[in-house]
Amino acid sequence: MAPHPVRLTVEDDLHRSRLTVFFRLLLAIPLLIWLWLWSIAAVVAGIANWVVTLIAGRSPEGLHRFLSAYVRYTTHVLAYVLLAANPYPGFTGSPGYPVDLEIEAPQPQRRLVTAFRLILAIPALLLTVAFIGTSGSSGGEYGQTSSEPSWWSTGSSGGVLFVVALLGWFAVLATSRMPKGFRDLQAYGLRYVAQVLAYALVLTERYPNVDPAEPTATGPDHPVRLVVSDDLHRSRLTVFFRLLLSIPHIVWFALWSVAVFFAALATWIAALLTGSPPSALHRFLSAYVRYSQHVSAYLFLTANPFPGFTGTAGSYPVDVELPPPGRQRRVVTAFRLFLALPAFAVSSALGTLLFATGFLGWFVALVTGRMPHSFREAQAYAIRYSAQGEAYLLLVTDRYPFSGPALGSPPEPEAGSESVFPADPAPSIA
Amino acid sequence: MLALGVGWLVGASLLWQTDVPDSLVLPEVDVPVPQDDLDRAERYETFMRWSFLSSQLVAVVVLLLYAWRGARFARESAAGRIGTGMLLGMLGLALVWLSQIPFQAAELWWQRRYGLWTTGYLDWFFENWVVLAAEFLFICLWLMITMALAAVFRRRWWLAATPVFVGLALLFGFVYPYLVINKRDPPADLERAAERYARQQGTDEIKLVVEEVSDFTDAPNAYATGLGPSRRIFLWDTLIDGRFDDDEVRMVLAHEIAHHSRSHLWKGIAWYALLSLPLLAAVGRLTRRRGGIYEPHAVPLALLALVVGGIALQPLSSAVGRELEAEADWIALETTRDPAAARGLFEAFTLEALQDPTPPAWAHQLFSSHPSVEERIAMAEAWRRLRDRP
Repeated sequence: MAPHPVRLTVEDDLHRSRLTVFFRLLLAIPLLIWLWLWSIAAVVAGIANWVVTLIAGRSPEGLHRFLSAYVRYTTHVLAYVLLAANPYPGFTGSPGYPVDLEIEAPQPQRRLVTAFRLILAIPALLLTVAFIGTSGSSGGEYGQTSSEPSWWSTGSSGGVLFVVALLGWFAVLATSRMPKGFRDLQAYGLRYVAQVLAYALVLTERYPNVDPAEPTATGPDHPVRLVVSDDLHRSRLTVFFRLLLSIPHIVWFALWSVAVFFAALATWIAALLTGSPPSALHRFLSAYVRYSQHVSAYLFLTANPFPGFTGTAGSYPVDVELPPPGRQRRVVTAFRLFLALPAFAVSSALGTLLFATGFLGWFVALVTGRMPHSFREAQAYAIRYSAQGEAYLLLVTDRYPFSGPALGSPPEPEAGSESVFPADPAPSIA
Repeated sequence: MLALGVGWLVGASLLWQTDVPDSLVLPEVDVPVPQDDLDRAERYETFMRWSFLSSQLVAVVVLLLYAWRGARFARESAAGRIGTGMLLGMLGLALVWLSQIPFQAAELWWQRRYGLWTTGYLDWFFENWVVLAAEFLFICLWLMITMALAAVFRRRWWLAATPVFVGLALLFGFVYPYLVINKRDPPADLERAAERYARQQGTDEIKLVVEEVSDFTDAPNAYATGLGPSRRIFLWDTLIDGRFDDDEVRMVLAHEIAHHSRSHLWKGIAWYALLSLPLLAAVGRLTRRRGGIYEPHAVPLALLALVVGGIALQPLSSAVGRELEAEADWIALETTRDPAAARGLFEAFTLEALQDPTPPAWAHQLFSSHPSVEERIAMAEAWRRLRDRP
């Protein structure tokens, strides 16, 4: 498939100025005022663009240029406010900012798609809420908004971009660098928001793509990975009743969680004393981490089959690879709960993305019998992060969760190993 | 097997005994309710009866189709033997649930039309999902137990499963009173009457509770529930809203206390054990062709067998219910010594709860868990004649 006509480019070295970061919101006031004024003009121009495109079948050059600059400027301002970039952006939306947009020249657009553009944009706009939240919300009360059936992710989430920006603010003040995972996550969100804006303003008829994959993105290796061998097929009957069919798992999950609480406590004490978690407890907690993600994947339609109740490795098309027990730094172990709090917040925010794609995917899968690939990939990303967070908190590993969408290359599979599930036309390891 | 059969018959005949005199002959009586009201009750019940019958028929057809083709849904599972069985069980119930929606909607429309039920359609729709969720949990528990026992006892799993299910029924019977929400304390005079009646019937004090249901129904009702320390009598607030006089309410109270004093809850569990045994044996026998309940592929067939078996046992369980209710009526008459109140109460049932006083015999035998209004008035009359006999 041809690349999306609205592409995000990132030329950022992660360095941030502590001073500008400290005052970032105040510094952004002129930018935001200008953005607000420009938005009024953009709405008028967008309507004009819609009418002309409906008649002529193509966006006029002048309007396309004006609206492209507006979308680009919006991206610059958001990147600045959210700490995804460091320098103060200009006011014209000219190319050249470290987090920038490439928007292709006007192409012919189908009139039917143009006519119903705003209606068609509704699902994409709903997904945008997962990234930027609803107005004024940058995170609610813990335990109120996430619907992921995991105590790991039962916390709040406004827009994931604002949650990450808040956490990034502290990180930058301490280190003068934006964590790469945070920046990559924000780039993913900004790209999607820009594509939605471009679609709504009739700059392109290509639908926004929520797939977090970015060919040029790289990330570190991580011992906790998600292996996806799902073929995107969904059974309409089980999709229709998915929430209710998950009830036995939710009950079992709740019971298992009680045991996990005590097992985690015992593991924490043992790891503090001996420097590594006991094998039996590590195995027990690993199974729990896998199981919770199997249930999430089932509930939110990331996978099709009804999962088992034991969290067995390799038993599910959306599975978690976990490391064997090994030595863990005692100081990290001692403060594990506190250290895990930021990851908890990010996981909760990504839980909103998981929920939103699950909710929209429910309708799509019911009609087509398939889950959209981009939804599945976005969910796999959220589930992978949740698994990393759980594994960290439960002392399965002392590697901190990586919040960027891309991880380093996975290890080569062992010779002779094979999946019990049908091969995905586009399998992924998130 | 023979010993089991003999034991079953002995148990059933013992449980069948009640305090209603064997020699009691019910006289012919008139139900002194205006003809218009009788016609109204009959119209109401006729529709409900046929709707129920049709829905049962559709459910069986759906389960037949599911038993034929449902096993292929096993490919939607990565959950192993028992988990796959659970999925197949839930999907079977889901399909039945879908097939019942038109009937339930029609029944709700009918009940609203007759002013018996005030629940809105939206509320009903959402409550229906909650009911399905509870059914899913129930079938998962049922399959988990039976499929696990089948791994140990193979073909004889049903022998082990029956005591397990009876144990669960006991547990549920014990905790149920604590699960009821929207409760309040009863009026003091009713509490005092309950104490007095319990003493008269030779049983310990039983807690009386008013359940608030008037937000969604106008139908009057009361029931006895709980075992041992959890014994309770629940009176719906629709029963004490002024439509029934004090003597009639006391008659209800004495009737419910009789359920406890004559151990009807325990007898109900004993009957449950007696009926479960052949039903589970039949499920075991029928599913043998597909490897028995041990195999998830047999679950759709097991569901069919359970439902059809349940329907087949319906006349017997209805008859048991009528015997116990008749005994409770008799004891209530002995306690209150007020046949006029009983007569007034049962007449009011026709008016307020739209109970057809003389349902068709086939429907009465098949579905009625209580004696008909006509039979209940006749029993009150029979008790009066016995009392008045020199």
